[in-house]
Amino acid sequence: MTIDWWTLGLQAVNVLILVWLLSRIFWRPVAAAITRRQDTVEGMLKDAKATQAKADDMLAEVLAAREGMAAERNTLLSEAALQAEGATKAALQEAASKAEALLKAAQLESVHINEANRMVAAAQSAQLAVDIARKLLARLDAGKAKEPFLDQLIDALDTLPAKDKAALAGATGGVDLISASELDSATRMRIETAVAAALDGQPQLNFQTDPALIAGFELRTRHFVLQSSWAADLDAILRDLKDAA
Amino acid sequence: MKSPLDSTILFQLGPVPIAQSVVTTWVIMAVLVLGAALLTRRLDALPDRRQAALELLVDTLDTQIAETTGARPAPYRGFIGTLFLFILVANWSSLVPGVAPPTAQLETDAALAILVFFSVVWFGVRSGGVGGYLRSFAAPNPLMIPLNMLSSVTRVFSMFVRLFGNVMSGVFVIGIVASLAGLLVPIPLMALDLLTGLVQAYIFAVLAMVFIAAALEPGKAPGTDAGPTTFPTEKET
Repeated sequence: MTIDWWTLGLQAVNVLILVWLLSRIFWRPVAAAITRRQDTVEGMLKDAKATQAKADDMLAEVLAAREGMAAERNTLLSEAALQAEGATKAALQEAASKAEALLKAAQLESVHINEANRMVAAAQSAQLAVDIARKLLARLDAGKAKEPFLDQLIDALDTLPAKDKAALAGATGGVDLISASELDSATRMRIETAVAAALDGQPQLNFQTDPALIAGFELRTRHFVLQSSWAADLDAILRDLKDAA
Repeated sequence: MKSPLDSTILFQLGPVPIAQSVVTTWVIMAVLVLGAALLTRRLDALPDRRQAALELLVDTLDTQIAETTGARPAPYRGFIGTLFLFILVANWSSLVPGVAPPTAQLETDAALAILVFFSVVWFGVRSGGVGGYLRSFAAPNPLMIPLNMLSSVTRVFSMFVRLFGNVMSGVFVIGIVASLAGLLVPIPLMALDLLTGLVQAYIFAVLAMVFIAAALEPGKAPGTDAGPTTFPTEKET
């Protein structure tokens, strides 16, 4: 067995050259590609983590902003509720005041209406009573009540001031003496005598008849009226009742 | 019959005889270099199938180196990987009719073993300096220095003898069977020879890794990532 040292050396050199060549054109490029991709992937992962962190931060900010908005919304809602409650209370209070005022006004109006109604009713009642009395008195014999009314008329003439008496006595055109029924001549004479005595003069009496007097007399000039009759009494009563109402 | 231990000289370059194994090695080198150049033309960030296969090969080799040496694989990748690829292609070149695999010649295997021997010295010195490398012979105690020195030579010798014996025997068996039987009969043996070639290439590369790792000072290996690492012995491997 012999070893060819030239061949051995050549093969060693060949393998060394092959190691050098393959290292340059195969092992290093492929390993560099792997490393490059690993670096790229690591960079992408870092970027992704950074992006994720940014997204998380933004999400946290958004959540915080949303919570702030929710809190602000709740605050605004609370304030609005308070304002609405205050406005409602004020409106209710105002409405209650108005209602109370209206009620008072209505009550006052009702009182006034009732009072007016009562007054109208009282007046109507007084009128009705006077009408009834007038009808009842109309049934009576006016002649029988003549004397008291004549006395009452004379008394009234007596109480007149002297000036009025003189005016009545000297009235131009005479004095109208109205009776409820036609007077006979004796009665007329007695009346003329009594009037002349009461007035200290002799006025001209114009005897007239007015059944509306029911019973009694009425002295009337252009500027003077002296009544003594049931009609006048009833009118006085009616006025008093209406005044009293 | 020609002895398998003799090499066939094809021609002379001056005083240098050019054996057939050398020419075959040149062809294999050309194929490997051209193939590598073609395969690594366009390496992209998004790998295609070709690039993925290349990266799988490199990644597997890196994993083997890292698991064996406990160091970053970059300094050893070129040497170990090229040894594996060259031996594998050289072993499988026996399938080409008329081609004798270079690894079936004693000179080629001896050259590979010598390269491994010197690479062990080179990486050992790079790792711990000359003193550190020499101290590695005194492990586990100085009494082992003669044995360790003898072992550093004999293990290299055993490497190339193992490779030479396996490949050469495979070639001879196929040749004998082909001469005795028909054309198709050696095919199973050739398939077996494929497996043997792969296993021998793997064993040679792994043994080279183990020897280099044994010479590295623990924790001081070039590109070491981790601390002290326990390395498998040749026997374990």
